[in-house]
Amino acid sequence: MMDKEMLTQIIQQVVAELVQEGQSKAPGGPAPQKEPARTQPPQEEEGCLPDITEIDIREQYLVEHPEHGEAYADLKRNAPCRLGIGKAGTRYKTLPQLEFRAAHSAAQDAVFSDVGDDVIEGQGLFIVKSQCDSKDTYLTRPDLGRKLSREGAQTVRERCKKNPTVQIFVSDGLSSAAVTANIPDLLPSLLQGLQNHRIEVGTPFFVRYGRVGVMDEVSEITGAEVTCVLIGERPGLITAESMSAYIAYRATVGMPEARRTVVSNIHRNGTNPAEAGAHIADVIGLVLEKKASGTDLKL
Amino acid sequence: MGGSVTHEEILSVGVDIGTSTTQLIFSRLTIENRASSYAAPRIQIVKKEVVHRSQIYFTPLRSSTEIDAEAVKKILQKEYASAGIQPKDVKTGAVIITGETARKQNANQVLEALASLAGDFVVATAGPDLESVLSARGAGTDQLSQDQRLTMANLDVGGGTTNIGVFEKGKLTGVCCLDIGGRLIRVENGRIAYVYHKIQKLAQSHGIQLGVGDRADPELLGRVCGLMADQLAQALHCRQADGFHRALYTNDGKSLPENPPIQGITYSGGVADCIYNKMEGDPFRYGDVGVLLGQAIRENKDLAKLRLFHPAETIRATVVGAGTHTTEVSGSTIHYVNGRLPVKNVPVLKVSQEDEASLETLREAIRRQLPLYQPEGRAEQIALAFSGKGYTRFAQIQGLAAAITEGMGEVIHSGYPLIVVVEADIGKVLGNAINLLLDFKKDVICIDGIRTQAGDYVDIGEPVAEGHVVPVVVKTLIFNS
Repeated sequence: MMDKEMLTQIIQQVVAELVQEGQSKAPGGPAPQKEPARTQPPQEEEGCLPDITEIDIREQYLVEHPEHGEAYADLKRNAPCRLGIGKAGTRYKTLPQLEFRAAHSAAQDAVFSDVGDDVIEGQGLFIVKSQCDSKDTYLTRPDLGRKLSREGAQTVRERCKKNPTVQIFVSDGLSSAAVTANIPDLLPSLLQGLQNHRIEVGTPFFVRYGRVGVMDEVSEITGAEVTCVLIGERPGLITAESMSAYIAYRATVGMPEARRTVVSNIHRNGTNPAEAGAHIADVIGLVLEKKASGTDLKL
Repeated sequence: MGGSVTHEEILSVGVDIGTSTTQLIFSRLTIENRASSYAAPRIQIVKKEVVHRSQIYFTPLRSSTEIDAEAVKKILQKEYASAGIQPKDVKTGAVIITGETARKQNANQVLEALASLAGDFVVATAGPDLESVLSARGAGTDQLSQDQRLTMANLDVGGGTTNIGVFEKGKLTGVCCLDIGGRLIRVENGRIAYVYHKIQKLAQSHGIQLGVGDRADPELLGRVCGLMADQLAQALHCRQADGFHRALYTNDGKSLPENPPIQGITYSGGVADCIYNKMEGDPFRYGDVGVLLGQAIRENKDLAKLRLFHPAETIRATVVGAGTHTTEVSGSTIHYVNGRLPVKNVPVLKVSQEDEASLETLREAIRRQLPLYQPEGRAEQIALAFSGKGYTRFAQIQGLAAAITEGMGEVIHSGYPLIVVVEADIGKVLGNAINLLLDFKKDVICIDGIRTQAGDYVDIGEPVAEGHVVPVVVKTLIFNS
């Protein structure tokens, strides 16, 4: 067995070389890393691994001796997809393989980590829980994620304004990373948008371990005309920071899923969260005007 | 609001009043929401289709310095009737005055009058740079250069000018305009009836004397056309520019950048057909040197080195460009007030990339430039424009809103709406922020997805696609001399 130090050195060197190689082959791509690790003496422990998650896969083109490399690279700029990344025999090259695993890890982290209290409190939200007591319960018991805990329900009853026109709340759902990344822009923009429409808003709060369906109970407790949850979406390999707004008119526990209106793909490379908040306010305005949501509402 | 707008068709008109010909086309622009119904809308023009082409008329002139406005008006009315289209059906489009006609005394008035006759949101426009872009797009050179992955130039060789637009793989990289055209020497009854002074001097610089009343010698005039073709090759940097070259740019305009080098070429305009096809018979059958110029361009050795392609349109390239390529749609999440649109011919106060780097410099740049847009000392309708790319966070946008309201004080106190045009997708949130800062007391129009330059004018139409977007026409300076 190699010792840990040696292993770290080898990984460090290989990754650095790969990143170097990968980037220098991307036509018109970003400039190579400033400080390639290979110039460092191998016994040194300092320095840092190049962060492979920093690579923009739209700019990455790794096919060797391509027939129409430039054209392919231009096409790739349109969408973040794992194409044109070359191969070694029948397998991925090492760099794309590592990038893929890094993306997968980011997705897992987004699911399994918690939104920090500071992020939530920074938005002036209080915290309640669903009936899940941990992430494990959350993942294995979706039904519990749709119900507020007894204390949670009590807190909402006590602290939230009764019968508001619109009740907004935030929930981690399947991506805490999404909440952390977007809520500081999305929530204030939504509130400002509603103010612009002169629509009255109830007391916003945060639900830990929440599923979309928990909005039905929130709606029943607060008596809101419209309920809107801003919730982290199941992460993918392109972004772990995507979130959605689900909106329902007079939501009730047990109502059909088709009664929810959704605005999805809110993240910095999708719909910019600040602009999305303003858009959601308009959608809520329409829901109020038509007194309908989901498939009952033509957007 | 959200997604399920399937599609909507809007009718657009293009009218081109050129040096020799006046034409009109109607086209249908299809706009569609490209986003799924689960996401914020993304409405785009997805199809452009010409549905009616007019006959090609000689441009009616009352004298050598005046356009016959009444006669042009009649042409328009006749063509609307034959297409079965009412001006009220026309949602957008452009009337463009091009080439030598733009130099006529009453060009501006004619343009404005015709624009309102053609439809509510049909805009008047002119200027050699814009014409170069429109004719090249009308010729389809942008698409060809993208498909062929080449840097391509379109030369729209008309009666009075040659407009050149260059695209590198579909992206515009340069335009220019030269006083070279088929009607700059006119021939009547075998004699020279008119010579444009620059062409006379060009000939003179090569020892050829041209005078009105001289016998029209095909061989001699062919040589003069050869000199003109040679100047075109110089404009494309296929040949070293001679001492005379600079003088031929229309209104002393700029030349093309040397890079990227041009690889392919298309020709449009009235002379194009004489370039692609060998014309037999009387070279002066059109009463000018168009046929000879076409032949000279075809035979030019420097131009022949470029790969030659066929355009989608020849003589109609400019009018097709005006009718189908002037209108864009704004971003799909924007802020506006019902009843304040359309607005037309609004000058753009552009804050440079450099100045928008900080809120202080942005505010100061607005304050510094504002007086330039108030020649009479009082507020006039203007549109504030900048990219907004560095301002995507909510907190930054609030700062931006404050800087704008501080900088635009005079406009805010006037009766005009506050118009803001940005590139970054922040139109709705920025509009909301400004609206609240001004306490609902001011009509705010804040649109995004539109790029402008200093000196542009902007027209903003009434909302379409269920109110999600507005049609926008960005125009470069009208009559730059």
